[in-house]
Amino acid sequence: MGTFKMYLEFSRKSFQRAAAYRFDVWTRIVGNVLFLFMWGFIWYGLYHGKSSVEGVSFQAMLGYILVSQALQGIHGAGTPLWEIQERVRTGDIAMEMLRPYDYTTRMLFSDFGGIAFYFITAIVPLYTVLFLVLNPVVPTSLVQLGLFVVSVILGYFIRYCIELTFGLFTFWLVETGGVEDIFYFSISLFSGSVIPLWFFPGWLEQVARYLPFQAIFFIPNSIFVGQLTGPAIWYAFMNQVIWLLVCYLILRLVWNRASMKIVIQGG
Amino acid sequence: MSLIEVNHLYKEFKIARRQEGLGGALRSLFHREYSTRMAVQDISFAVGRGEMVGYIGPNGAGKSTTIKMLTGILVPTSGEVRVNGLVPFQERQKNARQIGVVFGQRTQLWWDLPAIESFELLKQVFQIPDARYRQNMATFSDILGLEEFLDTPVRQLSLGQRMRADIAASLLHDPVILFLDEPTIGLDVLAKERMRKFIREINRERGVTVILTTHDMNDIEKLCRRMILIDNGRVMYDGELARIKEMFGKERVLIVDLEGEVNGFSIAGAEVIKQEGNRKWLRFNREAVTASQLINHISEHYEIRDLTIKDPEIEVMIRHIYEKGIGSYEGACL
Repeated sequence: MGTFKMYLEFSRKSFQRAAAYRFDVWTRIVGNVLFLFMWGFIWYGLYHGKSSVEGVSFQAMLGYILVSQALQGIHGAGTPLWEIQERVRTGDIAMEMLRPYDYTTRMLFSDFGGIAFYFITAIVPLYTVLFLVLNPVVPTSLVQLGLFVVSVILGYFIRYCIELTFGLFTFWLVETGGVEDIFYFSISLFSGSVIPLWFFPGWLEQVARYLPFQAIFFIPNSIFVGQLTGPAIWYAFMNQVIWLLVCYLILRLVWNRASMKIVIQGG
Repeated sequence: MSLIEVNHLYKEFKIARRQEGLGGALRSLFHREYSTRMAVQDISFAVGRGEMVGYIGPNGAGKSTTIKMLTGILVPTSGEVRVNGLVPFQERQKNARQIGVVFGQRTQLWWDLPAIESFELLKQVFQIPDARYRQNMATFSDILGLEEFLDTPVRQLSLGQRMRADIAASLLHDPVILFLDEPTIGLDVLAKERMRKFIREINRERGVTVILTTHDMNDIEKLCRRMILIDNGRVMYDGELARIKEMFGKERVLIVDLEGEVNGFSIAGAEVIKQEGNRKWLRFNREAVTASQLINHISEHYEIRDLTIKDPEIEVMIRHIYEKGIGSYEGACL
């Protein structure tokens, strides 16, 4: 109980920290909306007046893009990759080992705080308006909405594990630009965040399906617009849970290796 | 039993050797050669409860490496470390609850938030009871004048204020031992004085054992009775500061400014310990040679523009111990 309260305090502090940078929220939201319109217009152009492509209506595609941008906004409000890399480089991360808590859990709760602030002050008001005005496809039942939320949460944890793992690679690298590029490339392409996997060429879709990134955005987005229904949802959940376990185990392994490196080599 | 015990401590680092040229860079992707560096070799000492010890040495002497092993974030290559009965690296988190650490070069406070927020976070992290937290905050605010900037974001604090907040943060959970790594670095004279006063007070009033590393010899002189001097990872001296002063008690330093061109300056009966252009620092034993004799000697060969006689500064004494070892002094002076 005391432990939970301690971790929750990290969420509170991160919330306050996010609040201290209100201007940052505005710049983020402007960027987020710019991308939203960019992708919106691209898809509008691609549909070219057709009511559906490969069985997906334009309204569904619009819902997909809207919910994807909203989720990307939420994910982006957590501790960014460069900040983790910075903490490793400066050795601040070693100092955290002098605290009676688990570093990866403390970072997770810090993430919650930043995300909560951005979610309440920006995402909810903005996307409520957008959804009402643009009239896209949305979940038609509470069950569908509930499944979507569960899937979002699973996807969130997967992204968290992957991003922190990539950040910790800094321990073994002098130059981290490459790692950053790989991360951002994968998270924007393979996750289906801007182009749904069903529009991928066959071979690329196969590749993407065997990577963890699709479990972050593609699965929840597809549930949201009703492209994933019935038993397929349960397979998708299984997919997410397995990837979460795998990514979590990799994170623990990398963190253990990193802490070993700190205590043996001094970071 | 001593609070801190260090026995035959060694720490060896593996350093990847850089290979030259493009070919070397490619080769190092697959195969790396390593060399080893001994950061700490055969260090032993014990510190009793309530002591305040200065741990000093030049950059790269192994000070921080030792401190890190005492805090538990570094594992010794061999040897034994015990802090209040615990082996730090085996029980790092348990050890963390009984020690406070301040690294002058970095902060444990949240940069973007007012200092008070970091204190509240530490209260949760160390599960400090409400009453104790309030009591400690009151005491520290009183001595360190924290109220005036408690609500200011840490990034806007002056270095002096930030250090005060940092040291308070390290003591909130009532540690038995406080490790201070260059706590006065970059501070102005007044801020240094204030910091020292606080360190003295928590040592005296709360009985907190303090291990202090610093490059500022005034810190040592004003705070520590005992000092451990290390160089190249080895202990050069461990004992009372007063004893070192005594050893050098018969020594004086004559500083002369000479006129004209001076080449290969040397003088019988004194040793040149430092020179900057025509200004020479000469160390001499006042029982072997008097100052006036020495001045006469010099003026026979050179023209003196100005001169001063001083007691050797601790810094000078320490530099000498580094260069010559303590042994030569024990023989010569005691």
